[in-house]
Amino acid sequence: MQGVFTLFAVMLLLHLLTTLAIQLNGNPALAFFGDRAPSKSQLEAVEKRFGLDDVCYDQIGNPCLAQFGKRLGDYATGDFGTDLRGRAVTDIVATAAPNTLRLFLVVTITWLIMGMFLGSVAARFRGKAPDHGIRLISILIDAFPVFVMLLVYKFIFTVPISGWMADTFGKDSLGALLFKPSFSRDAPWATIIVPGLLLGLTGAAPFLRLVRASQLENYNADHVRTARSKGLGERHVTLFHIVRNSSIPVVTAVGFVFAEALAGAVITEGMMNIYGMGGVLWGAVQDSQVSVVIGMVSLLSIITIVVMFAVDILYAVLDPRIRYD
Amino acid sequence: MKARSLAAAAAALTLLVAGCGGGGNPGGDTSSAGGDKTVRLALTQDVETLLPMDSNVGDNIGVLEVVYDGLVRYDAQSTKPYNYIAEDVSSTDKTTWTIKLKPDFTFQNGEPVDAASFARAWNYAAYGPNGMANNYFFERFVGYDEMQGVTEEDDDGKITVQEEPKAKELSGLKVVDPTTLTVELTGPFVGFPTMLGYTGFFPIAQACLDDIEGCAKKPIGNGPFQIDQWEQGVRMSASKWADYKGSETPNYNKIEWTEYKGSSSWPDFQAGDLDTGAPPPSEWQSANNDPDLTSRKVVRPGAALTYIGFPLYKGAPYTNIEFRKAISMAIDRQAIIDQVLPGQEVPADSWVVPNGVPGGVAGTCADCKFDPTAAKAALAKAGGWPKGQKLKISLGQDDANEQYFQAIGNQIKLNLGIDYELDPAPDFFARRAARKFDGAFRNNWFPDYPLNENYLVGPYASGDAKNGNDTLGFYSKAFEDKLAEGDKAPDLDTAVTKYQEAEQELAKEFPTVPISFSQSVAFYSENVDNVVLDPFSGSTKLRLLNYVG
Repeated sequence: MQGVFTLFAVMLLLHLLTTLAIQLNGNPALAFFGDRAPSKSQLEAVEKRFGLDDVCYDQIGNPCLAQFGKRLGDYATGDFGTDLRGRAVTDIVATAAPNTLRLFLVVTITWLIMGMFLGSVAARFRGKAPDHGIRLISILIDAFPVFVMLLVYKFIFTVPISGWMADTFGKDSLGALLFKPSFSRDAPWATIIVPGLLLGLTGAAPFLRLVRASQLENYNADHVRTARSKGLGERHVTLFHIVRNSSIPVVTAVGFVFAEALAGAVITEGMMNIYGMGGVLWGAVQDSQVSVVIGMVSLLSIITIVVMFAVDILYAVLDPRIRYD
Repeated sequence: MKARSLAAAAAALTLLVAGCGGGGNPGGDTSSAGGDKTVRLALTQDVETLLPMDSNVGDNIGVLEVVYDGLVRYDAQSTKPYNYIAEDVSSTDKTTWTIKLKPDFTFQNGEPVDAASFARAWNYAAYGPNGMANNYFFERFVGYDEMQGVTEEDDDGKITVQEEPKAKELSGLKVVDPTTLTVELTGPFVGFPTMLGYTGFFPIAQACLDDIEGCAKKPIGNGPFQIDQWEQGVRMSASKWADYKGSETPNYNKIEWTEYKGSSSWPDFQAGDLDTGAPPPSEWQSANNDPDLTSRKVVRPGAALTYIGFPLYKGAPYTNIEFRKAISMAIDRQAIIDQVLPGQEVPADSWVVPNGVPGGVAGTCADCKFDPTAAKAALAKAGGWPKGQKLKISLGQDDANEQYFQAIGNQIKLNLGIDYELDPAPDFFARRAARKFDGAFRNNWFPDYPLNENYLVGPYASGDAKNGNDTLGFYSKAFEDKLAEGDKAPDLDTAVTKYQEAEQELAKEFPTVPISFSQSVAFYSENVDNVVLDPFSGSTKLRLLNYVG
């Protein structure tokens, strides 16, 4: 129920913002004519076609609530509207969403592997060489913003590496595909792994430190000492008493960082030419495409809510004391 | 032990990497085998529609060039039109035109390409409420106005429809018989045949009209290629139409386009995934220093003119011709191009692109030469620039253009001592339409069809002696008279000369400052040769492109 209310509030806010953007920035229909000055009737026809012919779009400060109500009514009947050139929003989402979800999957796996694995190793060897090494890596990662990493990767590494792989293993080998300079629709998984890995890396650094810190807390906790004194093996203690118990803050962080990853997705998708939600949303905001923005954000809100829900369930799995009725 | 497991891991990785290659050995290049000759190209912007009446950007025009055949096509070198689907286009008075079609051409769905197929496309485009991008091409047709309805603008700038259009068809357009069309224009226009090869004049099948939305995604063409699949925003593919009867068709049989949005396709070209490419400014230097790459490079002047306009409707100092000349002579065009957009622009010294369209010659703008001393003198003659005031330079929001105009502003400041303020605004076009500029502003003109007339009428002619034209407030009787003389000329060559004279009149008035013309550059892969760039649009001429594998 709360989720539905949040969604409604988000949609209303977006509606108001995009409406204001149109009122302030002038008519998006004018952009349709480029450098040519259209006649009044030509402009009128295009405004009508774009659904911008309502008088409220010309009055600054008018919230255009009638338009919002109409949109909600359309949504209720399963009509999610079209972009300015008549392409259905559902069609755009159907093309873009799978790619973004693929990217998010790779990112999440990278976080878990990098964060959990390296964080655990650092905690296990606290103060020793592996710990210092891993902490140094995490600082290095922080020093490189994702767009710098992608830029360097795309313009310096992809061409020689994919060329060498293609010569050595063949044009369609996994190696050649992995290092392609851009996303390819023919190999949607292989070509998204490295971009996802790079995007995941940038998110992994804070994650890694969080894992390390929360595990260190557990190494000295009473229940761990009890487990050791019972004579349990070190491996068993680490896996079931330390890693599992320190996972709760980590899982919470996954939920939050997930939302943050969308910002990174805009950059990654743009750079690697992935047709995804981030890039489409970015373009739609620039062009004041109200229906696309609201449609996309509603969908992303739903995804975020689902992830948060999954996080809540994981709490119960990880900590038997937490139970939902 | 450790070393061994490392080696094993490496071996496993190698296997994985080689993985799905399965026989991916040298020579296993499937694209050249079995006559499957595929050309792979990039589309650099989000293509939104493939409907000819609605296609007005370089990319969908480029795609439709191989999907549709028009009445005329343009010569790759001179851009002069020659008949293709048309047997003959003629007129005795240059007002009423008779178009004879070659018989027996069909659409890819079997429908005939007849007079009616052209008429239905043109009527659809000309009907105002359809909101087609190429609507304005039919302004010269008799009956155009009756198809637009009557609109009225109130004080808030709100446009309301007073009256629905009276007609759904152009009264000046008549289908005489299946191979004959007559067109009546509102006045004589000798350049009419030149317009007919443009995308907006392609024919459409009845099946296309019945399902406009479907046709915008999967066109029913009459050209050598048909669109197989279009995943909008991602990729598009076309294959050769087996029953094509025309003569101009390339030697390859498949085209694959990948759409790029915002990102550069240059590394993809370098990696061999695309057959043509152009480097971004940051890679320009290294690409041009690579002997292997430059051995497969073509350069050709494009047709888009970037120029500075002034609000002549605002009065002094903009109305002072010496002031405008001062600005023009203060700008070192070559220097700013080398600095900001190397290889992508060439300095302009005319209002019509030289050698790009009939009638275009270099040097019509004598004061487009960089001469800081003469610039200072001209400014003094104009009475100087008000002290302490900044010259506003307005433009739309675009990173490359902002850099470019910042460099222009710096030149003005350096050579004339006029401080400037860059004003990139998202509502640039709205403000331009409302005449709300106070300072210089960016303009860009890309002609709609290859004729010098097109550079002159759209941006400068209005017939309104009192207010001048919409965007500048410019009016010159001598200039408009020359244009009218050109329109009435007995043949195209005479007309072109008259239009040239009109350009000279324009040069006398010096309403705007030409800065640069676009320059088209393409690098190409070893898979293709005979890469010819269209002097008009700058895109690769797909019908001339030769696949060598």
